Amino acid sequence: MDDISALEHATLKVPYENLNKNFRNCQKVIDREVLHVVQATNELDRCLDNKDATVGSFVSLIDNVVDKLTILKRKANEAISLEEESAQVCKKRLAHLKERDRCSGSALSLWKKKRVDRMLVEYFLRAGYYETAVKLARHSEIEDLTNISLFLVSKEVEESLLRRETVTCLAWCNSNKSKLKKIKSTLEFNLRVQEFIELIRTNRRQEAITHARKYFTNTNPDADQLSTIKRIMGLLAFQPGTSIPQYRKLLDGTRWQELVDQFREENYKLFQLNTTPVLTVTLEAGLAAMKTPYPLRQNDQDDFLNTCLISQCYSDDCKNPKCPVCSKYLNELAKTLPYAHCAQSRLVCSISGKLMNEHNPPMMLPNGRVYAEESLQALAAVNNGKIICPKTKEEFTLEQMEKVFIM
Amino acid sequence: MEAPQNVERDVDKVLHKFSLAKQHINKNIDDLLEDLQSMKEDLLSSGPSDQELNQFHSNIFREKLKRSREVTSSLGGSHKEIHSSVSKVGKTIDKNFSDKLLSLSKEPTFENSKRMELLNKVINEHFLRQGMLDIAESIAKEAALDIPESAQEPFIEIHRILASLKERNLQPALEWAELRRDLLRQQNSSLEFKLHRLQFIELIQRGPSHTEDILLYARRLAPFADQHPKEFQILMGSLLFLNQGLQGSPYEHLLEPINLLEICDVFVQDACTLLGLSVESPLTVSLAAGCKSLPSLLNIMQVMQSSSVMWSAKEELPIEIDVGASSLYHSIFACPILRQQTTRGNPPMRLYCGHAISRESLNKLVNGNKIKCPLCPVESSPDDAKQLYM
Repeated sequence: MDDISALEHATLKVPYENLNKNFRNCQKVIDREVLHVVQATNELDRCLDNKDATVGSFVSLIDNVVDKLTILKRKANEAISLEEESAQVCKKRLAHLKERDRCSGSALSLWKKKRVDRMLVEYFLRAGYYETAVKLARHSEIEDLTNISLFLVSKEVEESLLRRETVTCLAWCNSNKSKLKKIKSTLEFNLRVQEFIELIRTNRRQEAITHARKYFTNTNPDADQLSTIKRIMGLLAFQPGTSIPQYRKLLDGTRWQELVDQFREENYKLFQLNTTPVLTVTLEAGLAAMKTPYPLRQNDQDDFLNTCLISQCYSDDCKNPKCPVCSKYLNELAKTLPYAHCAQSRLVCSISGKLMNEHNPPMMLPNGRVYAEESLQALAAVNNGKIICPKTKEEFTLEQMEKVFIM
Repeated sequence: MEAPQNVERDVDKVLHKFSLAKQHINKNIDDLLEDLQSMKEDLLSSGPSDQELNQFHSNIFREKLKRSREVTSSLGGSHKEIHSSVSKVGKTIDKNFSDKLLSLSKEPTFENSKRMELLNKVINEHFLRQGMLDIAESIAKEAALDIPESAQEPFIEIHRILASLKERNLQPALEWAELRRDLLRQQNSSLEFKLHRLQFIELIQRGPSHTEDILLYARRLAPFADQHPKEFQILMGSLLFLNQGLQGSPYEHLLEPINLLEICDVFVQDACTLLGLSVESPLTVSLAAGCKSLPSLLNIMQVMQSSSVMWSAKEELPIEIDVGASSLYHSIFACPILRQQTTRGNPPMRLYCGHAISRESLNKLVNGNKIKCPLCPVESSPDDAKQLYM
């Protein structure tokens, strides 16, 4: 598995679900318009059976069929164009993903920078920082590669719910009816319940009863919905200012927030999005991979079993300002993450930050400090052959350094 | 990387079928329309509109209508057939892309307000570093971050200086460097000299009419002659070509635009070091490491799950992950004898022959007052072994 397979599921799945939705819509449109044409044709047929039918009436019925056929043609073309558009969105994203293999050097780092921005946009959208998300997407020209439009729809729904309106969310439920049914969503039911509660809250009991008759008579009798209905019908007996805790809770405004949460969850489910954004998961994996362990023993006599691990990033003598895990905020974030698994020796020169290996071997100064040969040579070159140890400030010469072999 | 290709193949198929369906629908409808049109013309030419339909026409029309109804009804079916191709796209995506994300943290960051705040601060700094101030501001506002002005200022200053550097205006950078001369010296930074050098070259290019300014400026360069003797000589030497210009002279290389790019890099590096920051954004580095490690981690998780081994410890990652040489920041020394990472109490020791082993191994291998290196044939005295500080 490569990083594209591991990270880009949502990048493709969302436009696919859109394609699927448009496909189903298109099918509906075609079926409906075909039905109209068939009905018009049937009328024409009946006219043939009618002995008194005149040429004139027959011609006007033909015109009717022609009208219906023209509408079918126009609507079918429109709907298929929509389908094609959504398939092109998939293609665009695929093309972007494929680009990665073709570019190298600075183009590759640009691609990777875009990926960081894509992750950030997605995180912003999920966290509800819509303005920042839109700004960043526009700045980095990744609007087509992120699921902004999906989230802007949900933004509208969420905001309307927080304004205590159900209309937008109900319309959303309606446009995703079949899918919601498949995942056995209770969102629409809960919205209707909320409407009922609001009617009680504003003391419109008569309307509340009509509302209940309209929406609650055909609910699923085996589910908890029935008990919910029983409970809320109880509300009819109480004043909005009731002090009975169960009923007060129902009348409480926090139910709207619960609806927002439920809407979000079902929206994610519909588009098969994970509940966690890719950004945080990737960040956690990256921090863990760099959080190098540093075994510590209580005292020298302790055996290995008493060794406890801390990370080098949390031990003052090992910190490196270049290390992300050592940086202020990430350090705090990485605290609860697992350590990297390190079985192999590897030395990083604290002067240059480069890995030491056979081409750039580790050298020991007489004070026991180990640095890369390249770095020591460079230090000596600008200082007349003298080396000042960056840690202890002692002065040495190049001849005093000795090779260390690490296996 | 086949995954996107596989999906693309299926999407192309769907697109092809869409265009076929469109053609099919249009052609059939056009045929039907034509039929109806000729029917209408037939009728209208046969007599006045209040005349009754004759049997002959009725029979033909009945046939035609039967066919037309069949064709129309089939249109819906022909579109419906595409469904299998469309859902194949979804299946191919699921097969080639993992919809599982692996959360390593015991307390996931998302929707944990304390951790989200930390992350948002990291993101804010990430944009400040890149000079994308409007986005940094926007996230600070939407996430209600409390970021003191003093935390933003250094970044804003760096970007202001960098912007003028890119427009060949060295003055702000020079002022910045002069203010921090001592600190920069301590780091062996040549930033100030390089800035003066560039300024000097600019002056030379103005030609002999500015000789006085140039000589005056050369005096400002003098204090750096010590540290950069060779480059100082080159600069002074270039004065010989003041009259005919540096173009075509042995000093032409001084004019290369790379000098300006270099100074931008040096400036950013030195400024970050002075602020105690890394040059690369920690967020970018961490995410890059994450992109490298997630696939391997997902793979090993799959294997572990199928062999019903649970990775329960969660203390340490189950495998070693290669994050690339540039993302290594700490030295690890594992004793080749004990196969254990060394600790403060059990530090690495260098034997006389140069091989490094842990002190504990050394103590175990000492025989009398000799130790034979476990990695080579050399025998030496344990007293010659030296503790290493990596």
